[in-house]
Amino acid sequence: MSDPSSINGGSALAMVGKDCVAIACDLRLGSQSLGLANNFEKIFKINDKVMMGLTGLASDVTTLHELFRFKNNLYELREERKIEPSTFANLVSSTLYEKRFGPWFTGPLVAGLDKHNKPFICGFDSIGCIDYAKDFVVSGTASDQLYGMCEGLYQPNLEPEDLFETISQSLLNAVDRDTLSGWGAIVYIITKDKVIKKVLRTRQD
Amino acid sequence: MAGLSFDNFQRNKFLVSKGFGQPMATSTGTTIVGCKFNGGVIIAADTRATAGSIVADKNCEKLHRLSPKIWCAGAGTAADTEMVTQLIASNLELHSLSQRRQPRVITALTLLKQHLFKYQGHLGAYLIVAGNDPTGAHLMSVQAHGSTDIGEYQSLGSGSLAAMAVLETGWKPNMTKEEAMKLCADAIESGIWNDLGSGSNVDLCVMEVGKDAELHRNYLTPNVRSEKLKSYKFDRGTTAVLRSSIHDVLDVEETVITFGNDAMEVDA
Amino acid sequence: MNTIASQFNNNNRNHVHHEINESNGGYGGVDKLELTPTMTLPPISQPTDFLRAHTDDATNPDCKIKIAHGTTTLAFRYKKGIVIAVDSRASQGNWTASQTVHKVIRINPMLLGTMAGGAADCQYWETWLGTQCRLHELREKERISVAAASKILSNLIYEYKGMGLSMGTMICGFTKKEGPTVYYVDSDGTRLKGDLFCVGSGQTFAYGVLDSEYKWDLTEEEALYLGKRSILAAAHRDAYSGGTVNLYHITEEGWTYHGNYDVGDLFWEVKSQEKSFNNVDG
Repeated sequence: MSDPSSINGGSALAMVGKDCVAIACDLRLGSQSLGLANNFEKIFKINDKVMMGLTGLASDVTTLHELFRFKNNLYELREERKIEPSTFANLVSSTLYEKRFGPWFTGPLVAGLDKHNKPFICGFDSIGCIDYAKDFVVSGTASDQLYGMCEGLYQPNLEPEDLFETISQSLLNAVDRDTLSGWGAIVYIITKDKVIKKVLRTRQD
Repeated sequence: MAGLSFDNFQRNKFLVSKGFGQPMATSTGTTIVGCKFNGGVIIAADTRATAGSIVADKNCEKLHRLSPKIWCAGAGTAADTEMVTQLIASNLELHSLSQRRQPRVITALTLLKQHLFKYQGHLGAYLIVAGNDPTGAHLMSVQAHGSTDIGEYQSLGSGSLAAMAVLETGWKPNMTKEEAMKLCADAIESGIWNDLGSGSNVDLCVMEVGKDAELHRNYLTPNVRSEKLKSYKFDRGTTAVLRSSIHDVLDVEETVITFGNDAMEVDA
Repeated sequence: MNTIASQFNNNNRNHVHHEINESNGGYGGVDKLELTPTMTLPPISQPTDFLRAHTDDATNPDCKIKIAHGTTTLAFRYKKGIVIAVDSRASQGNWTASQTVHKVIRINPMLLGTMAGGAADCQYWETWLGTQCRLHELREKERISVAAASKILSNLIYEYKGMGLSMGTMICGFTKKEGPTVYYVDSDGTRLKGDLFCVGSGQTFAYGVLDSEYKWDLTEEEALYLGKRSILAAAHRDAYSGGTVNLYHITEEGWTYHGNYDVGDLFWEVKSQEKSFNNVDG
């Protein structure tokens, strides 16, 4: 499979719950069939209430993370406030579209709570088309499987503890059917007063 | 730098030459229609976005605002329809500000076609443009390569054949607003049922002469997902956790304090 | 009924077979492949190119038919007999098609074959090998040697060389005169006798563990654990290997099955017991 977005492998997803959002990813970084690292996190903190997931070509994941960190820092200096998730989504969109004819090989996700603590999630294609969703967004080499798991398991208005189980089981069972994802997983649950990070115990094959 | 950056273009062309593929962009395998009626114009669209055979978004918005009374429906590459529309909307606003006139539909169409022609079809945007301006109600369309068309009723996208079948059967001159809304919605529904690239709901926008445009988001919802009869909620503790850490967020509360007259000196 | 009967009829040979037999015809020998079912080839000028264009995802990533690939299998000889260990994952592209494939083919109570490459090719021809071994027994009133059995298979494979068969297999057995014996046979036509083989996309990882711990004088328990542990290492590192481990042991009495171990549980068990896999968090 010589498609750049599936050389390194990896998957991520985000879900909306009751006054909370969750975003999760696997930890594998590989080179085709060879697993190289099991600590490659694909979710990055933008600020206390906004996080983003980046899957696809690992070099682009790292580069874009740095780019968005830079752009967010400039935003915070200029505006003297934290960026709203919807604003950040538009920043991601235009950053990706800038490379319309030579795209980054990545599928980003944004998840967070806005200034009224209302949940917000969205996904993107590689050239910045925003997919606003009310329930869940998925990305990565196991995205087909993730769509299936989420359509089956998701239900609205889950409490943070229940949302954690639903997003974890969706991710775990999806990556078990993808050769290029897995090797550990991480889940973040963002609520109005805290962000909980959980490292999952997963299969290691 | 403003505008498009071609940095990665070189890199990706090299990768393609080495047998690496291009990533799949979300495209709106779409049904969009437009139809004039006595005293205005209507456009409508379905709400499915696809990436290959996967339905990426079940309720996306394909009706874009170019100006308060000029709207357009987009088919083709989703990111292109969105970005091209936003760009032209900005230019249209600047143009109307400098001319001190309300924007005209033909202006929007010209701006779009000139932009799309410049990109020689590489921007995959297929749009139906409609709206009111001081010269009346108009309905036009523009294709990715820059060609344009004007007509009483139009359809575009992968479901355009299904939609056009309905339009050709049902259209008559001087329809009422209600008749035209029904016709447009029926045409989109025909695309939803008969075209695999189209689906979910009908969005509709009515632009009546002398009135504000009214957007009917999810005008028809013929594909409501039936609720699950039982819950797939897991027992808490189902998922094995290695480690857990909590980051407490300090919410900063902002309070506005009004100063007395002597509280602060302000430079004159 | 006629179609079944005609399979065993020389008149129904396809033209490739016809050509093969034609060239052998002059020698008047007994047709070795009398009971070989013939394969129908597509009615085009270059069937081999056709097959490759549509199924070989290594040269053509866009090919529509993806044959199940990706495996780790191993077999090694030691003092007490033979250990065979395999994983159980089948993948098509990046899709994990199954986690519960049986990659050891029980040819008969004395012989085992492993499965790597095209699952269907291995399953079909090793089952066919079983019938050939039984026919040998009936004709010669003696159990077939591992050398002979593996040669029947490799000769068959060689006849189809270049036509798209994909197999990497180990034929393992124990006979009085040979002792514990392992033959490696693959679809290129290679046939090798050896003490220790690992085959499949995860072979290098399995070799890594196996080579460092292997001794001729292993106890049965040690040997079985080593086989299991080697597959576990491959299941961990190789994306196309995983699922479960299947273990077999062969002695003079024939083979015995030593169970199925889910890698999901086995990994953590081994990690905590051995204090190994320190690259993994947990």
